[in-house]
Amino acid sequence: MTDTQFDVVVIGGGSTGTAVARDCAMRGLRTLLLERDDIASATVGTCAGMISSGLKYSDEPDIMAMCSKEVVHFSHIARHIISKNPIIAPLLDLSDAASDSSYVDSYSAHAEERAVPSMLFLTPEASREIEPMLHPDVIASVYYEEFFIDPFRLCMLQALDAIKHGAKIRTYCEVIDFAINHNKELEGVVFYNRVSGCTEKVRTKFVINATGPWAHKVASAAGEKLDIRLNKGAHVILDRRVVNVGVTVKAIDGRWVYLFPHENTTLLGTTALDTWEDPDSLVASFDEIEYLLQSIETVLPSIREARIIRTMEGVRPLVPEWKKPEGMVTRGYQVIDHGANDGTKGLISFTGGKLVMCRHMAETVTDIVCKKLGKTATCTTHERPLPGNEVDIDIVGLSREYGIALHALERMRARRGADMMKVLELTREHPEWKTTVCTCEPVIEAEVRYTIREEYPQTLNDLRRRLRLGTGPCQGTSCTYKAAAILCEELNLGGDDFLVDILDFRAERWKGIRQSLRGEQLAQDELTQGMYACVGNLDQSDVDYDVKPWEEGC
Amino acid sequence: MNLKADLLVIGGGMAGLVAGTVASESGLTTLLLRKGQSATANSSGAIDVIGYVPDVLEPFSSPEEGLLAIVALYPLHPYAIVGYGDDVTSEETSAAIIGRVREAIMWLKEHLGGTIASVTGEFDTNMHLITIIGTTKPTCLAQMTMCPGDLEDREDSVLLFAGITGCSEFNPSAAAKTYIEDRMALDGPPHKVGHCMFQVTPFGKSFNISSIEIARHLDREGSIEALAEQLKVQVKRIGATHVALPPVLGIRNAIANKSKLEKLIGATVFELLGFPPSVPGLRLQQALEGVFIKAGGKMLVGHEAISHVRTKQRVAAVIARGPLREIRVDAKAIILATGKYIGGGIAGDEKGLRETVFDIMTVTDDYHSSRDIVPSRSTNRLSINPTGQPIQACGVGIDSQFRPVREDGLEWAENLFAAGAVLAGYNYSVEKSGLGVALTSGYSAAKNAIDFLREVKQVE
Amino acid sequence: MNEDEAYEYVKNTLRKEKITPFRPDEIEIVKSVSSCINCGLCTNHCPVVAAVGVDRFSGPRSIAVELSRSPPEYWSAADKVYLCTECGTCREVCPKNVDIPEIVNMIRARIFEHRPDLVPKAFMSVREIIAEHSLAFEPWANREEKEESRDMRLEHLGLPHVPDRTEENADVLFFPGCQAEERAQEVREAAKVILDFFDVDFTLLNEFSCCSLPSHLMGDEVTARALAEKLKQKIKRLGVKKVVTTCAGCTSNLANLAERDGWGIPVYHMLEFLAEEIGYKAISRALRKARTFEAVHVSVHDPCHLIRYTSRQIMDYASEILAVIPGVKVTTSEAHDSCCGGGGMVSYHSDDVANAVVQENLIALAATGAERLVTPCPLCTAQLENSLFKNGSPIEVEDLTVFIARRLPKE
Repeated sequence: MTDTQFDVVVIGGGSTGTAVARDCAMRGLRTLLLERDDIASATVGTCAGMISSGLKYSDEPDIMAMCSKEVVHFSHIARHIISKNPIIAPLLDLSDAASDSSYVDSYSAHAEERAVPSMLFLTPEASREIEPMLHPDVIASVYYEEFFIDPFRLCMLQALDAIKHGAKIRTYCEVIDFAINHNKELEGVVFYNRVSGCTEKVRTKFVINATGPWAHKVASAAGEKLDIRLNKGAHVILDRRVVNVGVTVKAIDGRWVYLFPHENTTLLGTTALDTWEDPDSLVASFDEIEYLLQSIETVLPSIREARIIRTMEGVRPLVPEWKKPEGMVTRGYQVIDHGANDGTKGLISFTGGKLVMCRHMAETVTDIVCKKLGKTATCTTHERPLPGNEVDIDIVGLSREYGIALHALERMRARRGADMMKVLELTREHPEWKTTVCTCEPVIEAEVRYTIREEYPQTLNDLRRRLRLGTGPCQGTSCTYKAAAILCEELNLGGDDFLVDILDFRAERWKGIRQSLRGEQLAQDELTQGMYACVGNLDQSDVDYDVKPWEEGC
Repeated sequence: MNLKADLLVIGGGMAGLVAGTVASESGLTTLLLRKGQSATANSSGAIDVIGYVPDVLEPFSSPEEGLLAIVALYPLHPYAIVGYGDDVTSEETSAAIIGRVREAIMWLKEHLGGTIASVTGEFDTNMHLITIIGTTKPTCLAQMTMCPGDLEDREDSVLLFAGITGCSEFNPSAAAKTYIEDRMALDGPPHKVGHCMFQVTPFGKSFNISSIEIARHLDREGSIEALAEQLKVQVKRIGATHVALPPVLGIRNAIANKSKLEKLIGATVFELLGFPPSVPGLRLQQALEGVFIKAGGKMLVGHEAISHVRTKQRVAAVIARGPLREIRVDAKAIILATGKYIGGGIAGDEKGLRETVFDIMTVTDDYHSSRDIVPSRSTNRLSINPTGQPIQACGVGIDSQFRPVREDGLEWAENLFAAGAVLAGYNYSVEKSGLGVALTSGYSAAKNAIDFLREVKQVE
Repeated sequence: MNEDEAYEYVKNTLRKEKITPFRPDEIEIVKSVSSCINCGLCTNHCPVVAAVGVDRFSGPRSIAVELSRSPPEYWSAADKVYLCTECGTCREVCPKNVDIPEIVNMIRARIFEHRPDLVPKAFMSVREIIAEHSLAFEPWANREEKEESRDMRLEHLGLPHVPDRTEENADVLFFPGCQAEERAQEVREAAKVILDFFDVDFTLLNEFSCCSLPSHLMGDEVTARALAEKLKQKIKRLGVKKVVTTCAGCTSNLANLAERDGWGIPVYHMLEFLAEEIGYKAISRALRKARTFEAVHVSVHDPCHLIRYTSRQIMDYASEILAVIPGVKVTTSEAHDSCCGGGGMVSYHSDDVANAVVQENLIALAATGAERLVTPCPLCTAQLENSLFKNGSPIEVEDLTVFIARRLPKE
């Protein structure tokens, strides 16, 4: 490795970490981002992707104002990965509306700048026209609009933009130690490269600890004590869109839960339970799944007839406020400059924060670092568009030109915007790469190969994040072995690696499927077992399989 | 229009079609209802009897070896049930089981002879077939097009994995790497393996080609010759003695195509075992249907059994629903061969499992009620593992006559029998026993139904 | 905004997002499609995939597991979804009976509403005819000319003319379908001959209107539902106890409408009516009384809308009836239940696909050695007749209702 000196090292490749890397790189800092697994593989990978106006934070008006502004920024810089989320909150009881009426006003205060209406009331007939599955006893509903952003693409594009501006992004690199001199100043970072098996060192004076639920562990490796409150939340994912608009409702404990149609699935979330377990081992629990289903059932009685394809569980790194339920903890974020408090100089950590404010968090911290380094560059991350945003795409024209199905192109556009042209270029020389690999999305072979060559995935799961490979109803049953073969070809891996890649991806998918296994997923699993065990005989394979954190204690 | 039959078979996979054929051949008027195809049509087309017991990594070298182990370890396994007939003493159990399974296998071989799914193989040994991902699995009978011949016996054998450009279902380089690493670990032939791609363009395009298109194309005149032209070059390049193809050699003419190709390229050609929906699975399904019809059986497709009418002891009739019509089928005996979750014979939600036609009690593999189990709790944390997923071993429990039983252990109805994946007590994905159990249980259930009806007639 | 303005605003937003809310009867279809486990059996049996390949028509599997998942993206299914002939083979082989044909119609309906520019142009001309005449075929301008054509056909086929009748509270409403009403009039005439022969108390519609299937297939749900409502009113006014039709598509479509819109009466195809209400004995007796025809060697084509939308048993009835007709020899074609390619309105815009689909039928038919093909659906008849002619085949095609009627004794 030739480059070993950096102005700043960012630890953590989630929404915050990639945003910091982007801002630092764009302001000319020599930036390195180290991520233990893959970009967006932790907290941000388990959220719904809603960039909230701050509706729930009605008692923090400054935060609401900031969130609203950030939504506006995103709609400029990332319009190709944003979609609108129309929502109704059906009311069975007028008291549902009365108790939280303050939110109507606070939401409406910033509605205009986001080009959404202030909250509207709909009659029960209108509500049922829009959503026929609603409970017959619904007496009215409240309508409002939020936005979704694709969290994986956001992180990937922030990382890509950082690379474009000279940053280095290293995945599968786990920070294990810090070099700190006797003046308590940071001098470097030591990390373990999980792919090569080697330990590496880089020199830097500034480290941004954006590791979310591991912030306290990383701080501890630098000799710092960091307080944090970890809180887990589950989502249940239903196949395809089963509702026409988003539906929100109060759960048994008064929290608001939601059912959102999102791209080609429907998301049901979320729960909030404080946790002290290893985040890597967490899976959704039966109770969490029931909690969500029971809540939505009060307004959508037939929801259990929809097909649950899997669950996901993530951990929120909350600001450490105690003696409050999760819903009352501040939504704002904390920047902890350890050096300013007589701790390790150069180490700056985050706690708290939400997806919508990641750019703002990055700006705050990059301002601090620039000031300390004496750099005068100002932040432009809210103005300069993320890659792929550049031009409008004519899908019908492209379909004719390249002989690829309209829907395959439309999904490609949704995933990578204008960059899809680079994928299509590959098919000129390799027309056979127009072949579909993942039938559910769909994803064609050209995009799989392009992604492997340009976006540094190591595993099928990394490919899943970039391509949505294996996220459909079959959860990768049909595409796992096909994609594994391509990955092994591109990365020149051996036969055993091919089988391990398949087993690893099946394990990762099973992590989410198992917890909510019921209904048609039973048939899906019979088919998966039939393929990979009965025919493929992978259950009897003696390849070197690493037991995963959530698989321990069988 | 309502129908009548001596025997009603519900379900049209291996179990149902075999049961129906046996019954029809014995002179019973047999009606088979089928609502959709399922696991049999999706299978690789090879007939597994028994490859493993759970948690033991060594495959059985023969079905007999496996059956003996099964009887010893899993006395309630569907294979073991065969040994509990009224006329079988406990000393004779193993022999009875082996005898019955052998009989069923011979029966199937004979009946599939001359069809598009003609099979080869012997009851006395398991053969090891190669899959499209380069792994191997043990099986008892394979379609004629699937035999690797002397590949693993000749020291000088050289295997060429040949894939088709634009058909993503088979990647020959991945399969070749996997296979050779396996062979090297076992230090057995072949010691040299290669891979190549060739072109088959049924519609003039070299991308997005499905296996079924290729198979249909290869059924046509001249297509094998065109294929041979390309393969010859590759065979010569590496000195291949054997060529492994994805399972696409044809639907009607696969066996003839294999011979023709072998003559043209001078190497043994065989089909690999494929993932669903494989062409050999389609051949098997079609062949079995043909056998049933030839035996005089009647099939009513597109009909689902939804309810029944019963007397105290027996099922008198079954109500079946077609797309827009409902009919009543009166039958003297019924065989339930509705499959498991894929076939829809067993269904479940978060509250428990149920059998979908008669609401017979469902049980786990150790015969505890699964009416109230939470499916996710009957699973293994590891997805693909040698013990399997316990949920896949659930189904209905049966008595020694292959009749589903109630909570008290007595038969649910005198004249209702069950066969195939709807049965509890075995995990076909781990054991590699799916089609073998379907065959044996279908065969046995039919024999028992025939005996039952004969007794009933005598009484009357 | 008041509540009505709010509703308009929301509808407008949904329209911009290309969301048409699922109607209550559509939710069942969405649930059915959710059962797909991506096994691919459907694609192995799809006649369109067999005819043109999975690159041209990605197949029922892609419709279930990919193209139907996100309504705002339905417009991008426009290059595939119109190629489905809606034969239902996929649904029949599917372990879960996923309702592909109906999800295809739902997708087409949303393309029709949000991206009419992507709807095949040929549909629009049919739409105009339906809008003007409530018929799927341009009607005869002149009543005399229509009757002249009818009489020519009657004479050629040796069928008597049973006058039309409309009366209230009859037992049976006979519904010929647009094709038999305006083009293949012999089918309508033959049905009346049969019903009259067996003394059935039947009526026709005063003013015939389309069963609405073509509008439904186009995605023109507004028109389809309007036509359905129109029919319901006519039927209620007539007060009949059942509907009998000679067209396969009308059979399944009217039966579905009867259930969805609460007509309270059943709908049968003529074959069902003959087998179940008249009975084989009566038919056999009648046919034996007629002067024997010269021997004819036939093969039978099973219309998809009968075997896969209604019940496979219906073509068993056809076999039983043919078996009691003296002089008739039947050889089953290997492709007897293979789609003729005439469905889904594919031939209107992609005749090459429809033509490719029917090739299998033609090859198998030639192998039977039969001289005539009989089938109980005017649309299959037209498609097969055209295709046989184009391929230079001497095999004739005859509607089964006509075939039976011609062999009844003349009183």
